[in-house]
Amino acid sequence: MKTGISVFVATLVALGASWCGFVLLPLLQFGGAKQTVVLQSTDTWPVQRTGAATLGLQAYRANGCVACHTEQVRQTGVACELTLTSLGVQKPADFKDFTRSLFVLPELAAYTNALTASLNGWNGGLPQTLLTSADKDLIAEMADRLKAVGVKSETRIVSTGADVARGWGPRQSVAVDYLYDQPVQLGSLRAGPDLANIGVRSPDANWQLQHLYAPKSVVANSTMPSFKFLFEVRKIVAAPSSDALNLPKEFAAADGFEVVPTPEAKQLVAYLLSLKANMPLYEAPFTPVTAAK
Amino acid sequence: MNGEPQGVTSAEPIATRSAAPMWIIVATLVLLFLGGYYFDRHSGWFDARVYAPYANAENLEAFQPKSGAAAALARGKNVYNGVCGICHGPDGLGKPGQAPALAGSELVNCKGISRLIHIPLAGLSGPITVAGKDWNLNMAAMGAALPDEDLAAVLTYIRSSWGNTASPVTGDDVKKTRGQIGANPQPMSGPQTMSQPE
Repeated sequence: MKTGISVFVATLVALGASWCGFVLLPLLQFGGAKQTVVLQSTDTWPVQRTGAATLGLQAYRANGCVACHTEQVRQTGVACELTLTSLGVQKPADFKDFTRSLFVLPELAAYTNALTASLNGWNGGLPQTLLTSADKDLIAEMADRLKAVGVKSETRIVSTGADVARGWGPRQSVAVDYLYDQPVQLGSLRAGPDLANIGVRSPDANWQLQHLYAPKSVVANSTMPSFKFLFEVRKIVAAPSSDALNLPKEFAAADGFEVVPTPEAKQLVAYLLSLKANMPLYEAPFTPVTAAK
Repeated sequence: MNGEPQGVTSAEPIATRSAAPMWIIVATLVLLFLGGYYFDRHSGWFDARVYAPYANAENLEAFQPKSGAAAALARGKNVYNGVCGICHGPDGLGKPGQAPALAGSELVNCKGISRLIHIPLAGLSGPITVAGKDWNLNMAAMGAALPDEDLAAVLTYIRSSWGNTASPVTGDDVKKTRGQIGANPQPMSGPQTMSQPE
């Protein structure tokens, strides 16, 4: 083969270039990622998992959960939400008139409908969301105008997008969220809901165990297969185990028997409960609702 | 014609193959290397912290929440952990022999705020009763050196954390109380504290 050397060199260059692009460059860009700080706080993020939850990641992987579930919340936009917190000396009716007087401003032209809608349905209760817009400068200007007439308001940063609207998380997932995942279980198919915040959305371990054993017993139209093999159905010898599942009649084991989770099931649930990506980070800012009270 | 020497013609200029000067080649290679290094160093202006929908670092910076109740609480938590938490504990449960609990304390969780502001501004020494337990300790005027806004933030934090649900304290409240008690206040005694109106 006369061209052997050329073929070898060309192959090496082609594979080397893709290795650089897919492995080396991402490693240079994200390889140095380390714990970061939660916005407006001294807490670090992400939190190192407990032993059981670390083992649970392997159970998650072994049972192929990643085939039907993702662990990534997507965000398509960001918006500022202007919320009235105090009217000062103004009456709600005066305030409505004042806001309508602002409608002549050209920059507000696109928002008059939204403003009218939020004012019409308002009976004077506080706090009241006045306007939501991606235009930060407009919101800041509105806040200034309100301040000038003695009305106090608060500007919140909120994420927008279908995933956020479904309640799957308050912000998008970012690289640092997966710092302690080995391997990362991103997933690409959503036959089931996203699990990036399942530890926040369903924090009850017993609910999680029952859902793994008999999904339809807690979610009537669930299409998730039952993971019965992670549980042991055994005869009650002296007294029922404190770990035994408290199942509805049609899903329960026969009389004199009980359903007890195996260590693997408990680890898997520990991992699921550790899935929380609800802290505001520098790279994914938002204003938490609970802290704003 | 006569003036020119016969039989001698000036040579035509001709192009020959010759190498480019070595310094140009070396300088080009060095510049290419430096350019490549710079591009790589900045990852082609890729920023690992910027994700869509944010266009660039400036855009992301503009959306960082900077004010509001959440910011005040976070500020209060920072000040608390640095100044108060050493004795009162990061969980607000206090430490035996050092400081009483703030969680569930009637001195913290009350409607009025002037007495609560008075304590860190002036200090407190002597016997008091907090949540049914008796304490006889000295607290220095830990808050006297704090700016009004910081003291207000930390008081707001302790009044809304660990199960406490009292109203927030503003910087103006602190300023008012600071003005009332003067520049060099005496520490409050225990009975004085307990009998002072909220």
